[in-house]
Amino acid sequence: MSHIVEIKTEVRDEVAIGSACQRLKLDPPTRGTVKLFSSEATGVIVNLPGWRYPTVFDTRSGEARFDTYNGHWGKQAQLDRFLQAYGVEKTKLEARKKGHTVTEQSLADGSIKLTVSVGGAA
Amino acid sequence: MSKTIEIVVTPTGQTQVQTKGFTGTECRQASQFIEQALGQRTSEQLTAEFHQQASQQQSNQQHQ
Repeated sequence: MSHIVEIKTEVRDEVAIGSACQRLKLDPPTRGTVKLFSSEATGVIVNLPGWRYPTVFDTRSGEARFDTYNGHWGKQAQLDRFLQAYGVEKTKLEARKKGHTVTEQSLADGSIKLTVSVGGAA
Repeated sequence: MSKTIEIVVTPTGQTQVQTKGFTGTECRQASQFIEQALGQRTSEQLTAEFHQQASQQQSNQQHQ
């Protein structure tokens, strides 16, 4: 039996956030409270390239808080790129915890494909 | 057939998880840890491989 599941990524793992930052050559994440334009946010703080204010991930809810003023203070593409890196790193982390082998491949449309061999050596 | 889980992460960070080579409901159990770790399921689709195996099981039961 096989199945295909679509998943909306939730950013809940601080270790995987750190790995995603490393993968994208961003500064390591910090934890704390930061001021956005008119509010404050607490969680894991990531500075995305070209963004005026940081992105703050609430690892309990998996939600991101940020203020880009409709793209004027930061491009959505940078957050998307981060979410992709997070998804890849989180998958690799979880697969390796189970002792599975993971291979990574870049696809023509910009997606990243990970193949987890179940039962393979880590 | 070897058992694999394929995960495609799109440029916007959405993920698609597909299992291959599993039998019975094993595939759901096999990929559950990744699905739960990544976030919320928005859809599930059973593949042709599932339907083929399900109809084979039915026909085997009828012949017994």
